[in-house]
Amino acid sequence: MISTLRDICREVGAAYLLLLHVGTLLLRGRFDRRELGRSLAAMGADSLPIVALTAFFTGGIMVIQAGIFVRRFGAYGLLGFGAGYATLREVGPLLIGLMFSGRVGANNAAELGTMTVTEQIDGLRALAIDPIAFLIVPRVLAMVIALFCLLLVGDAVALSGGALFGKWLLGVEFSSFFHSFADNLKLADLSVGLVKAAVFGLAIAISSCHFGSSVRGGAPGVGRAVNAAVVASALAIVLSDQLITVLFK
Amino acid sequence: MTAMVECRSLCKSFGVRPLLDRVNVRLASGEICGLIGSAATGKSLLLKLLCGLQASDGGEIFIAGRRLDASSKEELQQSRKHIGMLFQNNALFDFMTVRDNVAFPLVRSGATSAEEIRERVHQTLRAVGLSGSEEKLPAELSGGMKKRVALARALVARPALLLFDEPTAGLDPVTTARIYELLGAEQARTRATMLLVSSDVDGLRRFVPRLLMLHAGRLRYDGPSDKIDSSEDEVVRQFVRGADEGPL
Repeated sequence: MISTLRDICREVGAAYLLLLHVGTLLLRGRFDRRELGRSLAAMGADSLPIVALTAFFTGGIMVIQAGIFVRRFGAYGLLGFGAGYATLREVGPLLIGLMFSGRVGANNAAELGTMTVTEQIDGLRALAIDPIAFLIVPRVLAMVIALFCLLLVGDAVALSGGALFGKWLLGVEFSSFFHSFADNLKLADLSVGLVKAAVFGLAIAISSCHFGSSVRGGAPGVGRAVNAAVVASALAIVLSDQLITVLFK
Repeated sequence: MTAMVECRSLCKSFGVRPLLDRVNVRLASGEICGLIGSAATGKSLLLKLLCGLQASDGGEIFIAGRRLDASSKEELQQSRKHIGMLFQNNALFDFMTVRDNVAFPLVRSGATSAEEIRERVHQTLRAVGLSGSEEKLPAELSGGMKKRVALARALVARPALLLFDEPTAGLDPVTTARIYELLGAEQARTRATMLLVSSDVDGLRRFVPRLLMLHAGRLRYDGPSDKIDSSEDEVVRQFVRGADEGPL
């Protein structure tokens, strides 16, 4: 028990030090722009189809769940507000964050882990290149930007999905759905979701980069690192979600 | 002659097991030297210590007269610009093509024009017999081809000190001979200091005039390659002869 607690403290401490190091290099502008572009394409653009698909059905699920109460109380005019509120503030960032963690965070931990065990990180250091400036900082920045942008797109797709399912299942007109949404929701509701996306992106980036770059023990070590990165990311997402929700309620 | 590499009483342990125990090595500028020894005797570790990739537990390391083991991060980065290293696992960057891998040290140094980088990459790849493979990714190459790309990457920036960890592992005899020929020509042209770790003792002996042998953390032989057979140390004689019976 004490040993497990000590291990957790060590990992959290190391991830925190990595965050400080990344922040310092970022403020000094010391990172590889080409790697940032490559990471943005791989982590952002390539994630768009799966995020859009998830978001579309998330919007649909919100409407199906809300449908029971909408029918019972005849609150057809509140469907857009209900689905939009839950999507923008909570379900959108949470589901897209977890999807991003599974797709991008796990891939990033595996890639960095493989680079570590095949001496590619040492290869960079031997060429007088700081691996954190060259590999880690661009990836952290790319993950934060990518998740932020993916959430903007995801929110729009989820609301469109909600409107489509609302019309199909409950007969709510598109205009009624979007008026209910626009009249009752504020920019702050969207902003809370976007703050969450940026924080989730940072949490996924730091945990996947930390576990990926500290791999020991060949291929099994890479597997353990991916597992640890995904678990730590999910935990960080849930904890930070709780904190942000309390702060911005 | 000035020393390019000098290690004094170098020590490194993992747990309770000492891998290097008060090792002294001196390589003159422009010298070619081979390092042999049984598996897991610290040969690769010594190269990593010389490149500053591992920290020693004790002793001193000097590269071109500058103390490496007590350097700041910035000083270490500066020293590494004069060192080329070929890793045992090649350490090619998976996401880069062959051309980009080889060009990488020149691109990052920022001191070479794009035209010159193109020309040097082309020449180096031709020298290692890989013309026409420029656009391939490392995953598309055989083990021997990867080794030659890694070799090209180590050579292309013409560093003053070259450290090779198993430069001929996995290569056929003809390619091995060509690689040694290439290294010889490169050394004659650039006067670089070379330290080669290899399990191919016979091939290495034909190429290097001086051999070092590590065993149980200590340097058991440091002398001419052609005299190693008649070493007074029974461990050294058994190792180079590949004899079944003996202290090993």
